[in-house]
Amino acid sequence: MIEVVGLAKSFPATGGRDSTSTGAKARKARVQAVADIGFTAPNGTITGLLGPNGAGKTTTLRMLAALIEPDAGRLVVDGLDVRRTPRAALARMGMLSDARGLYPRLTARENIAYYGALQGMRRDAADARAEALADMLEMRPLLERRTEGFSQGERMKTALARALVHDPANIVLDEPTNGLDVLATRALRDSLRWLRTPEGGSKCILFSTHIMQEVERLCDSVVVVARGRTVASGTIHELLAQTGQIDFEEAFVRLAFGPADGLPAPRDGRGATPTSPARALPQR
Amino acid sequence: MRAILIVLRKELVDALRDRRTLMTVLLSSVLLGPLVLVAVSSLVASLEVTAERREVYLSQPADAPTLVNYFERQTYSVKTPPSDYEAQLRSARFGDPVVVVPKDFEAALVRGDGPVVEVVSDSANQRSQSSARRIERLLEGFSRERYTISLALRGVSLELLQPIELESRDLANAQSRATQFTGMLPFFVMMAVLYGALNAALDTTAGERERGSLEPLLMNPAERWHLVVGKWAAVSGISMLIAVLSSLSFMPAQWLLRSDTLAALFRYGPLEALFFVVVLAPFAAALSALLMAVAIRCRTFKEAQASAAVVVLVVSLLPLVTLLNPGAEAPWQLWVPALAQNALMTRVLKGEAFGWSAVLIPLVVSTVIAFLSVWYVSRTLRSAALK
Repeated sequence: MIEVVGLAKSFPATGGRDSTSTGAKARKARVQAVADIGFTAPNGTITGLLGPNGAGKTTTLRMLAALIEPDAGRLVVDGLDVRRTPRAALARMGMLSDARGLYPRLTARENIAYYGALQGMRRDAADARAEALADMLEMRPLLERRTEGFSQGERMKTALARALVHDPANIVLDEPTNGLDVLATRALRDSLRWLRTPEGGSKCILFSTHIMQEVERLCDSVVVVARGRTVASGTIHELLAQTGQIDFEEAFVRLAFGPADGLPAPRDGRGATPTSPARALPQR
Repeated sequence: MRAILIVLRKELVDALRDRRTLMTVLLSSVLLGPLVLVAVSSLVASLEVTAERREVYLSQPADAPTLVNYFERQTYSVKTPPSDYEAQLRSARFGDPVVVVPKDFEAALVRGDGPVVEVVSDSANQRSQSSARRIERLLEGFSRERYTISLALRGVSLELLQPIELESRDLANAQSRATQFTGMLPFFVMMAVLYGALNAALDTTAGERERGSLEPLLMNPAERWHLVVGKWAAVSGISMLIAVLSSLSFMPAQWLLRSDTLAALFRYGPLEALFFVVVLAPFAAALSALLMAVAIRCRTFKEAQASAAVVVLVVSLLPLVTLLNPGAEAPWQLWVPALAQNALMTRVLKGEAFGWSAVLIPLVVSTVIAFLSVWYVSRTLRSAALK
């Protein structure tokens, strides 16, 4: 289970002079990447973090991975505070970030086993796990090949297997279907659905995306983020009911960009003022 | 601690599978030193052959029978140079100085007019230059013989002609004489170590970031400094391997030495090789860490190469200090990395003894550099994963 409460993070604006700034003042501007994001992703559930580009999804997941320190807020994984005990929290999570580089001179098996070893697994255990994951992701023939020259889908499968090698209770995926074709996307969806079931381990699955269809087909619960804030959360039905729409895309647009009167009040009541316009965030 | 070993093992496998880079480094760095040694030896050998040939080129032998007679008594054979010898000397196609005598050489000699004898050589032509001195000495011998005879005929004691006796005593031993030729060897060994570390150091830092594998790596529950120390150990290991190989490569290279003199002077046995390795190992470790520290903030391998070029330049230029400042090495040189290693290896080649402080100072300096660099890389990884 993953709990995020009142998360905030700002970055110094980089990239030299902003073409839009007309004033002579070159103040140290800060970009508020995440202003107030909070949600709970329970076990045995697929939770979608849905938001437009630059909404703060990737930054949130990076803070969850202890790659960057949040300015405020709490991140708790299975009762472990990420800021206080990052190593223990990381051991409970399998993360697939948007950077999913492999080592081209190692085979897929070696790539997977390396992470297994770093997670503290024994060699034979990591090897056995690599084979089990290869069966699940249908990548058996790839296992002994060097990853140099893998296709996007093959890379993705290897990276996913690498993230799941230690059989984590929590699976966090950052836009996992980016660059995948229909078949690969379907295979991934099937894998995630299976991981959610009791046989698959009742995993807590959290994934970020900006693609509606993916959320509709896969998610049990949706967290809509926009401009660095959680603007709504619930099942798809609940969100449709909340906005009075039949089409989920329309509901999402209402929630994320919609007229001010359509916006639900923020839960803690302190964010009533409109936030700064969503700027291009430093994505990498 | 286990994480360090895991990372070390993976990085070593990764680097050793990079066959093409490895072969290039091995061929260019490890073979370069011995090749240079062989080239130097064949140069020395060709100079020796010229010296042994006992030949002298005389422009008009018919004009100077007395001189020809003298040369032949000194067991020199007299040869006629090609007609365009001046042009050939300039373009270095002809390698011997030419003795030119005036037409009336014999008559002037008899009259005691002191005919002008020229020794024609080109100072830009190294081969002719080295034998010019020899020919000049030969001609001086001719003059000496002439005046000794004349004076002796007039009853002057020969001792009066030589008020002092000249004797030179050379303090250099055989090994230190050889360093004239082998002085650049430490430089080549250091370059080998540098290039051995370079690729691996950049690949494990900037390369990792460029591939997008740094961020996933940092999402493992391993301490950052464990990851860094593992990587550093792997890079140092490869660099030290190159150091050992290139130090050892001079041993078989000696057998190829074509000059007997140089082969006798250049003493490089297992003990010298061991000294080289002892001097180079801490240097390799420090250099590996430094290159990683330089590369860790770079986003691409290419960018890192540009930054690392500064390190390469400094390491290759520092030994030049000793070339530009010939003379005794100053104590401060031991505190400067690269320069210190160069000085120590030169001492080994010269067969000079050195105390513990000479080994300890560079060791301490290298340790400090390695420690600071590894610390810096770990610190950078704590925050810069996403930038």
